[in-house]
Amino acid sequence: MWATARRMASTTRSASSAALTFELVGKCSTTRARASILTLPHGQVNLPIFMPVATQASLKGLTPEQLEATGCRLCLNNTYHLGLKPGQEVLDAVGGAHKFQGWNHNLLTDSGGPMLLTPEHSMSLQNSIGSDIMMQLDDVLVTTHPDKARMREAMERSVRWLDRCIAAHKYPERQNLFCIIQGGLDLEMRRECCREMVARDTPGIAIGGLSGGEAKDDFCKVVATCTEQLPELKPRYVMGIGYPEDLVVSVALGADMFDCVWPTRTARFGNAITKHGVLNMKREMYAADFGPIEEGCGCQCCRPVGQEGSLGITRAFIHHNAAKETVAAHLLTLHNVWYQLDLMRQAREAIIADQFPAFVKKFFVGLYPDGQSYPSWAVNALRGVGIELLGR
Amino acid sequence: MTVDTEPQEPESTAMRFEVVSSALKESTAAAARVGRLALPGRRPIDTPNFIAVTSRGTLPHVTPDNISKHLQVSGAYFSLEDFVEKSQQNLSRPPPIFSAPTSTNHPTPLYSFTGTPSHITTILAARRLPAVPSPIGNSTKSISVFTNTGFQNLSTTDYLSAASTLEPDITIPLADLTNNSPPGTSPTSKRALRMAERTDEWIADWFSSPLSTSTSTFAPVLPIPYPIQWEYLSRLAEDYIPSSQLSGLAVHDPDIIPDLATHQPSLLSLPLLSLSNPSNPHLILRHIALGTDLFALPLINAVSDAGLALNFTFPAPPSPGAPPLPLAVDLSLPSFSTSVTPLSESCTCYACKSHHKSYIHHLLQAREMLGWTLLQIHNHATMSAFFGGIQRSIKDATFEDERLSFSRAYDSEMPAGVGERPRMRGYQYKSQGGEENAGKKKNKPAWQKELAVEDDKVEVPGTDGGRELQEKGVGEVVKGSGR
Repeated sequence: MWATARRMASTTRSASSAALTFELVGKCSTTRARASILTLPHGQVNLPIFMPVATQASLKGLTPEQLEATGCRLCLNNTYHLGLKPGQEVLDAVGGAHKFQGWNHNLLTDSGGPMLLTPEHSMSLQNSIGSDIMMQLDDVLVTTHPDKARMREAMERSVRWLDRCIAAHKYPERQNLFCIIQGGLDLEMRRECCREMVARDTPGIAIGGLSGGEAKDDFCKVVATCTEQLPELKPRYVMGIGYPEDLVVSVALGADMFDCVWPTRTARFGNAITKHGVLNMKREMYAADFGPIEEGCGCQCCRPVGQEGSLGITRAFIHHNAAKETVAAHLLTLHNVWYQLDLMRQAREAIIADQFPAFVKKFFVGLYPDGQSYPSWAVNALRGVGIELLGR
Repeated sequence: MTVDTEPQEPESTAMRFEVVSSALKESTAAAARVGRLALPGRRPIDTPNFIAVTSRGTLPHVTPDNISKHLQVSGAYFSLEDFVEKSQQNLSRPPPIFSAPTSTNHPTPLYSFTGTPSHITTILAARRLPAVPSPIGNSTKSISVFTNTGFQNLSTTDYLSAASTLEPDITIPLADLTNNSPPGTSPTSKRALRMAERTDEWIADWFSSPLSTSTSTFAPVLPIPYPIQWEYLSRLAEDYIPSSQLSGLAVHDPDIIPDLATHQPSLLSLPLLSLSNPSNPHLILRHIALGTDLFALPLINAVSDAGLALNFTFPAPPSPGAPPLPLAVDLSLPSFSTSVTPLSESCTCYACKSHHKSYIHHLLQAREMLGWTLLQIHNHATMSAFFGGIQRSIKDATFEDERLSFSRAYDSEMPAGVGERPRMRGYQYKSQGGEENAGKKKNKPAWQKELAVEDDKVEVPGTDGGRELQEKGVGEVVKGSGR
């Protein structure tokens, strides 16, 4: 440890493409974690970042103003859903999804997936949406797909589709198109895909096809394999990742951006994400619990009464209305989104201060107070980048 | 008239109500009037005005930060039955709200449990507004209330003790109401007489308890003819006004106000809160013309749930000879899909400043909860502006003329709203026998969308896709409830 623990030289380096600047502002001297600033057409965002998902141009009951107050500056819309409702014509008439939903910060859209038939159609819709980051149409197979030949075909098709997406993309000067690395769990195929995709020089790079039920060990290997090969001065986005442990480990493996519907969906089921794990507020034990949703949390619901903007929301009130009044879902959504964004803010600060390994250990002790029963996939993945969770 | 300079009564922390100006000379006539209701520590309420109606302690769809930032509402109606359900897992647990700790920001358990901003005047009643009819009658010392886990009895002593613990600014004591008869029908005269007798007895018990001093009391005025409840009302006037124990009246039917003016004019020195649930602004104006000061308006929540944006002003815009305008815009209609104008041109609410019809139309189509939130913000703002206009016109002595113009300018009823409502919860309705078989389910089944009644567009318009599954987290508990 001591041998490698050296302060990072303050060599801020950056790279730009037409509609994006990526500035690396800190690197962990132990792991592959990075802190950076991504400047997009609708402003600057700090990486690593969690991006909440506003599937149908609305973040589950929050006003854009409330979402902004959580610190969110980049959220997702789903292309497929917006293509159905309100539809491309409306988006064109209104002038894009930012105007449509009253969101003046950045948007990222997925490709629309296999429901959209062609790369051209996907690009056309995403151009109408006007998202700051667009995703290429890719051919996604579940990573556990047994047919290697089919997996290769999907990977190669994704590369070809990227070329078609690049050709069909109308506004490269104001919208960024990210490629998506495919290749299932086959690390060699992933490497090959990385080479092909990187050669196309998109402004950012996503690692796709994961979070589809593969073993966590395999997931980590894929992320680590890809980040090892990706250019340093481009943002790396691991798609569909949202559990706090997954975020922290993926950051350690060198990924920068994540999205997942889980934090907002689980809020609607009455679940609160906390540093000690997920709490189901519908349980009887919270009925007369007048503490905040999470002690020490800085979200509007939880911050101590008397602080600016504090709402003084108790677990008892959430219990009282969970699955009854929509307000309970809105409050838990506020909390959960804050939790996810704050986790990434803390990771970022730790990386810049070169304290990231200590942050990771503290995070895992919060979830596993005995300091023992850590999931083995996390222990292994972190060991691979120089953090030893067990012992000492 | 000037709230600050009046000589202070012995209880200087008590509620104060001043009539500032009235359409008629005396403030005890049945006539439109402007006043100010002030409770210690709360934002004063200029009247005529309305208070928001909460459900389970919250304004539906609006979080407390949005209430503080975006609504001008200064009062809220709470029902005790929303808080006292028996826990099915823990039958012996007392309702948690009674032990909620207080703080400077949340000075009573009612505030701290619900997170209600402290500038809001809190008004507690036993039952939701409108109340779900109870098949069980009231008894000599208790009424039947409907909780999330079913019907239960609420005794007069339990209610008194709840009010003294929760310390709402204003409490409406129990009334013996016939909640089991269909709306619009009046009780038999024998029943009406007993309603008056019981309510009279309960009020006497209420005021004889020292517990009742922790809150200002608005005594119920029953929805029965004056001659049947005259004894009760004269006791209110003759015993409890002189003793300063009575602070206001909770009027179930404002049409009784002229009788009060004739027979018990001193009662009209009190603020009059209407619980009559008017279905449109014309009725509100009529009740204001009779002297109503404050309205609890469940109408607004219902209108928002129906996908409607209120669209009227007082005074009405001049439009001689033009056909009447609709009172609300139905945002579920496809014609709004590309409309980038605000919900209402003259409105300055958050929803109108930040969003447009097209987006709210989309949110309703997609059943995104934000649609109802934005409509609540707009509809409460529209109602605030409406009452502001009424206050000005009473001061300017133009109220009656403007009321007439308003009645000509607008449709007489609210549009129905073709949109699909949010899922109904168990505490919001009691399914009637046979309803389920008659295809009158309150909620569309989530799993059998294809079987949804196609031709009944008002209740169940078609929707698509898997979102409904996502939304089930919020809408899980839909089973009949409460039996």
